[in-house]
Amino acid sequence: MKILEKIKNNKLINNQTEIQKICLHKLQSNPLPNPKSELWRLSNKAKFSNFLNYSFNEKNTKFDIPYPESSQNTVRLIIGENCQIKLIKENYSILQLSEDELNKYIKEQIACFDQNENWSDLLNLSLSSTKNFLALKINGSKIPPIEIFSHASSDFLNAKTLVIFLEKNCDIELLQVNLGKENSSLSQSTFFLLEENSSINHGVVSYGENRSNLLNSLNVIQQQNSEYNLGSLHFKFNYARFEISIKQSAGNAKTNIKGMQITKKNEQISTYTKIDFNGPDGFLDQINKSLADDKSHAIFEGSIIVPKIAQKTDASQLSRNLLLSKHAQIDTKPQLEIIADDVKCKHGATISQLNEEELFYMRTRGITLPEASKLQLSSYFQEIISFIPVSKDRWDLLDKLLNEN
Amino acid sequence: MVNENLVKDVVKEPYKYGFVTDIETEKIAKGLNEDIIRLISQKKEEPKYLLDFRLKAFEKWQKMDEPDWAGLGYKQIDYQDIIYYSAPKQKEKISSLDEVDPKLLETFDKLGIPLTEQKKLTNVAVDAVFDSVSIATTFREELAEHGVIFCSISEAVKNHSDLIEKYLGTVVPASDNYFAALNSAVFSDGSFVYIPKGVTCPMDLSSYFRINSGDSGQFERTLIIAEESSSVSYLEGCTAPMFDTNTLHAAVVELIALDDASIKYSTVQNWYAGDEEGVGGIFNFVTKRGKCLGKRSKISWSQVETGSSITWKYPSCLLLGEESVGEFYSVALTNNLQQADTGTKMIHIGPKTKSTIVSKGISAGNSTNSYRGLVKMGTKAAGSRNYSQCDSMLIGDQASANTFPYIKSQQPNSEIEHEASTCRISEDQLFYLQSRGIEFEEAVSMMVSGFCRDVFNQLPMEFAAEADKLLALKLEGSVG
Repeated sequence: MKILEKIKNNKLINNQTEIQKICLHKLQSNPLPNPKSELWRLSNKAKFSNFLNYSFNEKNTKFDIPYPESSQNTVRLIIGENCQIKLIKENYSILQLSEDELNKYIKEQIACFDQNENWSDLLNLSLSSTKNFLALKINGSKIPPIEIFSHASSDFLNAKTLVIFLEKNCDIELLQVNLGKENSSLSQSTFFLLEENSSINHGVVSYGENRSNLLNSLNVIQQQNSEYNLGSLHFKFNYARFEISIKQSAGNAKTNIKGMQITKKNEQISTYTKIDFNGPDGFLDQINKSLADDKSHAIFEGSIIVPKIAQKTDASQLSRNLLLSKHAQIDTKPQLEIIADDVKCKHGATISQLNEEELFYMRTRGITLPEASKLQLSSYFQEIISFIPVSKDRWDLLDKLLNEN
Repeated sequence: MVNENLVKDVVKEPYKYGFVTDIETEKIAKGLNEDIIRLISQKKEEPKYLLDFRLKAFEKWQKMDEPDWAGLGYKQIDYQDIIYYSAPKQKEKISSLDEVDPKLLETFDKLGIPLTEQKKLTNVAVDAVFDSVSIATTFREELAEHGVIFCSISEAVKNHSDLIEKYLGTVVPASDNYFAALNSAVFSDGSFVYIPKGVTCPMDLSSYFRINSGDSGQFERTLIIAEESSSVSYLEGCTAPMFDTNTLHAAVVELIALDDASIKYSTVQNWYAGDEEGVGGIFNFVTKRGKCLGKRSKISWSQVETGSSITWKYPSCLLLGEESVGEFYSVALTNNLQQADTGTKMIHIGPKTKSTIVSKGISAGNSTNSYRGLVKMGTKAAGSRNYSQCDSMLIGDQASANTFPYIKSQQPNSEIEHEASTCRISEDQLFYLQSRGIEFEEAVSMMVSGFCRDVFNQLPMEFAAEADKLLALKLEGSVG
């Protein structure tokens, strides 16, 4: 793993920023996560080292977005290309975060990092240079939908970081697209701070190509009365990890998560979520779907932590999985850790294949088996896709999922 | 069904099994090394293969690390500060119960376990284990008439060596885990059951484990073999005196069910849990596993865990035979500073296998109660099903309840369903019951009893009654 060697010898990056120095220093003493820890235990070691074997690249190749511009007034940003933002309109403003604000916030985050839980962030922040760092402060009302793209270049490892402060009473729709190129590794870390009464409909679509790899980490801090809705979709990656950490810093916030991962061929895609209720009256509704076909491996681990202070928390988590091949594998582990006594918490998990009775019914009505399966899958996918903002009308995600191999 | 009136019997009383029997015991020196293992083996006049089994296990144990993944907080165990063999002194050979030291009989009498002839009216055969040795087994002749072998494992080593050699360590191998390896090296006694082909055991079998001395650990080993088309129900009870030191209990239970056989294994565990400050109590690290080897075989675990300061226990089923069935019904109650990490593993290997898990955790005081389970569908487990349900009830705002189900599937043609919920005793329900003239504590008892009903219904009747009473007792003063 070339990168780790270079990190150890501190020969990777010139002109390090303060944040890079802190993170590199942490990694130098302990460059890898513990493979026995719960979060890394199931991770495919060969695939993981393959991820780290690409050479690191700070530059970005020219990139054409394969998706049509919207007719609406959408703000479209590409991390690595346009990081100097200054949009001041009548009702709203989207501005770049000042260096001080950014450093202060990131340092606070790093202070609570755990080697295993935040290893992906540590790597990302070590590598991500100012140029690949998009940090925004958004406020106002009637803000147009925002699309943010990240991509890796073929044969390289790229690191991109997104930081968004959503100020009080602000309400946005944001779609984040991570595009994996052929033979590439992308490390994407995202940090959101939702101030009081703000709300965001966040979509994450990660769409790879042959042998692309992704480490995608998402850290959200929610202040009181904020609402965070996440719709996510990960597919076509040789190796992908999606790590979500959400903290309701003073409780009384709403979180809805609908995520899906689809694995085919020899792929491994995993989702890890950690929801921390740090105050009373929190709400969570989470559903995670996996579909594993061929020889692939899908993993979901979700933990919900309800400390004593988080009375009257209402949290539910559901993991629904479809296993479509004899050689595929699904691991799922929803978990609850509860100390507060006046809470409503539940979780559920199922693993099965397509419903035979429904298939039979459709076939008796003259629908062929492949069509019937497709119909069933489309309803399975639709629940998640319809939750992803901005994208839904213009990109035919469903068609991509059903018809591409 | 459990008699509701039993709950009413509850009176404030401390751990009533906490007395110590003053009896002369034979103990060996503290510490653990090869010589100690040879000494134990020699004392039990064991054949060479068993000594080799022990030594091999010891060798492996030395290379293993104590597991820490359960996140249980307890002070480090000094394995050299434990007496690995302790037995009440009595005559060499006992031909009848009359020759058993009356003090021992009295002890078991106090515990409500009738060993003396005139009290053997209940139709349950008992194997009583006191510290490291089995002191008596009742109803042996009656059982022998049916071909059922029920004796202590030491006797089985002498009289049924072929069976022991064939099956011992086949379900839980010596190197399975840290505590199983320790047990394999130093196990002193335990029960052995063999049900021959086609026999339905005429009565419930039961073993009763009693730790009496404060400085010796208990390492018993139970082996139950159910031949084709046989069935047996086995009950296990445990108590210990109150000491302010921690005592280690590391047992291994192995069950083997062949074609069409069924084994039902029920436990009411009431080891001393330590006092309100968490001083003393038993460290209960147990490995229990059943192997459904035969087609249509069935193994059912039911347990009520109320004692021990630390519980680390995962009764499991390996479902190898086609259409074999595994069941796990559990109530785990923790209070004060108790910690329980318990659950099950259902490993579906054969086709069309089924498993059901029902786990109820109740945590009160400052305790921690975790369910940790694994359901795995192997590549050949086509047509298999699992259903799991884990509910937790929290009493007071200092207790914690955790759920960690691991689910793994490699077989598309199988179904796994898991659900878990957490609740507390609802004030509305309490208010309703109180408005009907039911005392507060009694109302709580009723609700806890209702919460656990799914599991209690699976217990043999005497046990169900005992369990209900036990829960009510343990919860005394923890509500309100």
